[in-house]
Amino acid sequence: MSDTVRAIGFAPGTAAIWAALLFGLASIAVYLRALRLETSGAPAAETSLAIGFARRLYAAYAFSILLASVLLMTLLMQHDFRVSYVAAYSGRELPLNYLFSTFWAGQEGSFMLWLFWGAIIGFFVVKTAKEQEAPVMAVYLASFLGIVAILCKQPPFRFLPQVPPDGQGLNPLLQDPWMVIHPPVMFAGFASLSVPFAFAIGALWRKRWDGWVVRAMPWALFTFVTLGTAILMGGYWAYKTLGWGGYWAWDPVENTSLVPWLFTVSLLHGMYLQKSREKHRKINIFLAIAAYCCILYGTFLTRSGVLADFSVHSFIDLGITGWLVGIIVVFLVGGLGLLAFRWKEIPVVAEIDPATGKEREEPFLSRSVLFILSVALICASAIVILLGTSAPILTRVTGKPSQVATSFYNITHAPVAILIGLLIALVPYLSWRGEAPKAVARKAFVAFAIGVLGAGVAFSAGVRGAKDLAFIGFAVFGCAANVESVVLFVRRKVVASAGGYLAHIGVAIMLVGILISGAYEKKTQVTLVRGEPTQVGGRTMTFTRTVLVNEDGDVKQRVELDPTRLADRRAKQAMEVEVTSGKGKVWKAYPKMFQNERTQQLMANPDVRSTPLMDLYLSPQSYDPGSPSRIEGIRIGLKPGEAKSVGGVSFTAKGFTMDRSQMNANPPRVTMNAKFLVGAGGKTTETTAQLVMFMAAAGGGEGMQQAPDVAIPGTPNGRFRVSRVGGNDGSMEIEVLGLNPAGDLKPPTAESFSVDVTVKPLISLVWGGFYVMMAGGLLALIRRSRDAHAAVVG
Amino acid sequence: MKKAYWIGAVVVLAFLALGLSTFTKSMTPYVSFDEAKASKRTVQVMGALEKGSSRYDTDAKTLHFTLVDEKTKAPLPVTYRDVKPANFEEAVSIVAIGRYQGDAFHAEKLLVKCPSKYQGEEVEKQYGKKA
Repeated sequence: MSDTVRAIGFAPGTAAIWAALLFGLASIAVYLRALRLETSGAPAAETSLAIGFARRLYAAYAFSILLASVLLMTLLMQHDFRVSYVAAYSGRELPLNYLFSTFWAGQEGSFMLWLFWGAIIGFFVVKTAKEQEAPVMAVYLASFLGIVAILCKQPPFRFLPQVPPDGQGLNPLLQDPWMVIHPPVMFAGFASLSVPFAFAIGALWRKRWDGWVVRAMPWALFTFVTLGTAILMGGYWAYKTLGWGGYWAWDPVENTSLVPWLFTVSLLHGMYLQKSREKHRKINIFLAIAAYCCILYGTFLTRSGVLADFSVHSFIDLGITGWLVGIIVVFLVGGLGLLAFRWKEIPVVAEIDPATGKEREEPFLSRSVLFILSVALICASAIVILLGTSAPILTRVTGKPSQVATSFYNITHAPVAILIGLLIALVPYLSWRGEAPKAVARKAFVAFAIGVLGAGVAFSAGVRGAKDLAFIGFAVFGCAANVESVVLFVRRKVVASAGGYLAHIGVAIMLVGILISGAYEKKTQVTLVRGEPTQVGGRTMTFTRTVLVNEDGDVKQRVELDPTRLADRRAKQAMEVEVTSGKGKVWKAYPKMFQNERTQQLMANPDVRSTPLMDLYLSPQSYDPGSPSRIEGIRIGLKPGEAKSVGGVSFTAKGFTMDRSQMNANPPRVTMNAKFLVGAGGKTTETTAQLVMFMAAAGGGEGMQQAPDVAIPGTPNGRFRVSRVGGNDGSMEIEVLGLNPAGDLKPPTAESFSVDVTVKPLISLVWGGFYVMMAGGLLALIRRSRDAHAAVVG
Repeated sequence: MKKAYWIGAVVVLAFLALGLSTFTKSMTPYVSFDEAKASKRTVQVMGALEKGSSRYDTDAKTLHFTLVDEKTKAPLPVTYRDVKPANFEEAVSIVAIGRYQGDAFHAEKLLVKCPSKYQGEEVEKQYGKKA
């Protein structure tokens, strides 16, 4: 097979990617032509003809992408191990759902998934962009073509010169139901980030400053929901399967999806302000560009290998670093350059107060000011996280690349969280024009009292420290204030408009959950001896036995497994721990500890018992099968000619000879005769020790070895034996026994299981608050889509 | 309205200032083993696990092991008072973040680099040779 044939690999797939590149470029060209016709005042029929042609070219682009995706999926399903990607990331022994997720297990496949969503979302953009279609679709398509070009260079369809019998299998950490759905949702979010970006650039191009906000807002909300859901799913996966006990580690991979999400949240607030007050135009365009460029930057950070020494997740360099840098530079410089170029042309709407004839200044306690503050605050948070994540690159310039400790994020975000609580609390009581402080105080009184009460309850439950109490107080205040608003909206039967307030309730609930579950968790490390009840923080825990838990969650013993069933073949070893709560309730927990057969990695999954008030988190640490009492000597390694002494006896290795005369005996064996000079009690004796190695029988099985003890002259009970012969340098290891007067007897050890037991109070609020926040986002998404559909804008 | 933008700018700048000052304080530079021994601050070191050197002390709940510098082959004893990370023994290399005290490097955090990361490379290596 020639190198070219190999690089092309599965030809229909590679051809589909190249076709996508060509159709994409053609569609952009025709959209640009339509735009020129539009602005030059050509007849409407001519413009719509061009647009119609551009749409057909877009459809050809999108179908090429979909075709390439379907082909890759088919190759994976058919175990076509000619293809390098299939051999590298999948294997025969995978259930269907995990086989499905091998699609995005590697770099090329995850780029493919990004493009897949981009192609689908594009159809909806064509439908909803209306008067802005030409510039928006041109930019939207361009935002994906860089990735298409990367896949043309590095198609996932490349062949291997030799076809392996089976693939390498899927990374065992990814063999989890959450990892089947988390990446698709994440990449849907990534792809949707292109839409507000395209609308913002389109606005700069057409010099129409407000219409894009109406059309792009539902898309920003779509990003808010999808990316937000994916981020939390990733956290939940880490919490349920990785076993380090948390859901967020400020790892670069997590941060690089959080930052664009935060910019999107900031943009949403800015868009709301612009829609209501025609203000904030420049900053919104900046935020839309920033959110998109951050996802490109994040892709660069996690896939170029620059963070390989800093993140547990990062990929190795595929040789695409230069391409990624190029794409970022094009969009960042192009986007910000256009914004700078148009800056002076973007009109600032000034409200003239008719009474004074001067520009009206809004009072501090107005919704306008509050929104600007929230935009600034969320932006600041995003920038600070970006700064921390980029530390290895920033410090590379000055010398040694360094990383910031996670405390960096926690220290900087405590004040952010408290301020967010306060802003959320004030919003419902303020109008755009502003309020007098007294009026606000009167309206907010009840919610504020509930906030104080919340802080009081927290104090009585053991929360200490002014910062923590203020944190809780403001969050509860914010929650109560927004609940008041939502109730009001429901009474007035305008539920659709309550999205924002509902989302704020969710944020406030999450803040409480994050603080309490993180700062007030209680962790105990215990070693449970099998059969012995042990008290752990008011509970009784007994390690009863080791079991196997199959893929369906059934607890079995090894003999009960049915080898014909895949779920049973994939059974994992677990420790059964019987837990009796303080109130006498009994249940069984099954933290898992097992070895992945393919990669030989030792894996551990925690067992989590959730109740509304707390989670009981059992994370396995180590398992000791126990051993009977045994005699154990001191092992020393000796190189030829080397002398070492132990317990007053010196040993010098004098080399060895090998006797292969019994290679044809049954069982075949080789005998090593090793010579030593043994010095004890002032006398040196030459001694020979034997090591007999039995060759493994045909068809496998471990080889056995026997080494008779050799007495050490001049000692009452001392003896030694050869325990290992290794290496090409002729070094060996001997085990010396009986020199210790008390004897070398090791007492028996019990079968035991070490486990970290953590109580995480109120962690359910993190997930619960998140659901409420997303429900608010969805409600707003429906409302803004309807608005956009009905709107007539320039 | 202008006033609001000024306040917004102050908020951003205040947090940036807080960020930058925390940034320099919480920096954990990558250093060599010798530098780690001399330094009093939190640093990170990287090395390969010396085969057979890891030992878990169940009474003290501490993991002891030795890292070997990949270039100079110099050893560094490390202790870690926490869970033995998954895939620890199979690690290609280990990054330890912590500080050197007494006679060992006390790690607060370990990053374990697993061979599975290099899956794609592995299959190319194994089957990429021309037949």
